[in-house]
Amino acid sequence: MILQTALLIGLVIFSVLAIALKDLIRSAISLAVASLLLGIIFFRMNAPYAGVFEISVVAGLITVLFILTIALTKTGDEVRESKLVDVVFPIVFVAFLVIDALVMKGLLGKVPALASGAETGSFGDALWRGRTLDLVGQIAVILAGVFAVLALFRKRDKHD
Amino acid sequence: MTNTWYLYLFFAAALVFAGLLGLLGKRNLIKLFIAIEVIGKGISLLLVGTGFAKANILTAQALAITYIVIEVSLVATALALIINIYRTSTSLDVRKLAKLKG
Repeated sequence: MILQTALLIGLVIFSVLAIALKDLIRSAISLAVASLLLGIIFFRMNAPYAGVFEISVVAGLITVLFILTIALTKTGDEVRESKLVDVVFPIVFVAFLVIDALVMKGLLGKVPALASGAETGSFGDALWRGRTLDLVGQIAVILAGVFAVLALFRKRDKHD
Repeated sequence: MTNTWYLYLFFAAALVFAGLLGLLGKRNLIKLFIAIEVIGKGISLLLVGTGFAKANILTAQALAITYIVIEVSLVATALALIINIYRTSTSLDVRKLAKLKG
């Protein structure tokens, strides 16, 4: 429990760093570390498949895509951020954490509990039989993403 | 088990709020997208944490994997859009987008 809490605190710290750091490459790497920690948290929650996906896809592939984009947009660092935000962000965030700690416990009792009982079978049954429509949707989403990227990077005609 | 659930919900809410603050305050398009990713991490944690606390971890995992697949597609499309915006306006400042006409 203590290790899990430490991992969760690390996850929040690296996520906040990813937003707050000025350098974009460091931001992307912080995001990757946060994903890695989230993957380890998933492993410890008996969710190994979600953990593997989180580490390989989110910490690996998405970080590569981010770094590639940062390399292709070299002057991206030159965007001037508001200095007021750097001051206000930590204060508001800490205030929210305090409110979160006070209010969340009360909210938990009001969330209606799921009526389902304990699960049986393997993860394969849950994914392939229980969520078949989701899988079809995933294929559609991947195809939509591929076509969107193709459309965005298509060669321009001479008339354009 | 409620204590575990409380822990995950607390940190998930913190991540979502940090992402929302980033979305409100930052001006760099890539930073805005990193903030969206942080919100996504909060949602993933919420899904799997709730599944773990309610003894429904298999369905929660399936949902988390679905979300990750959608996230990849979203990231690829959004980063392609960001690169195209950069080519057109040679800047990643979100305020300059409001001035674009045509």
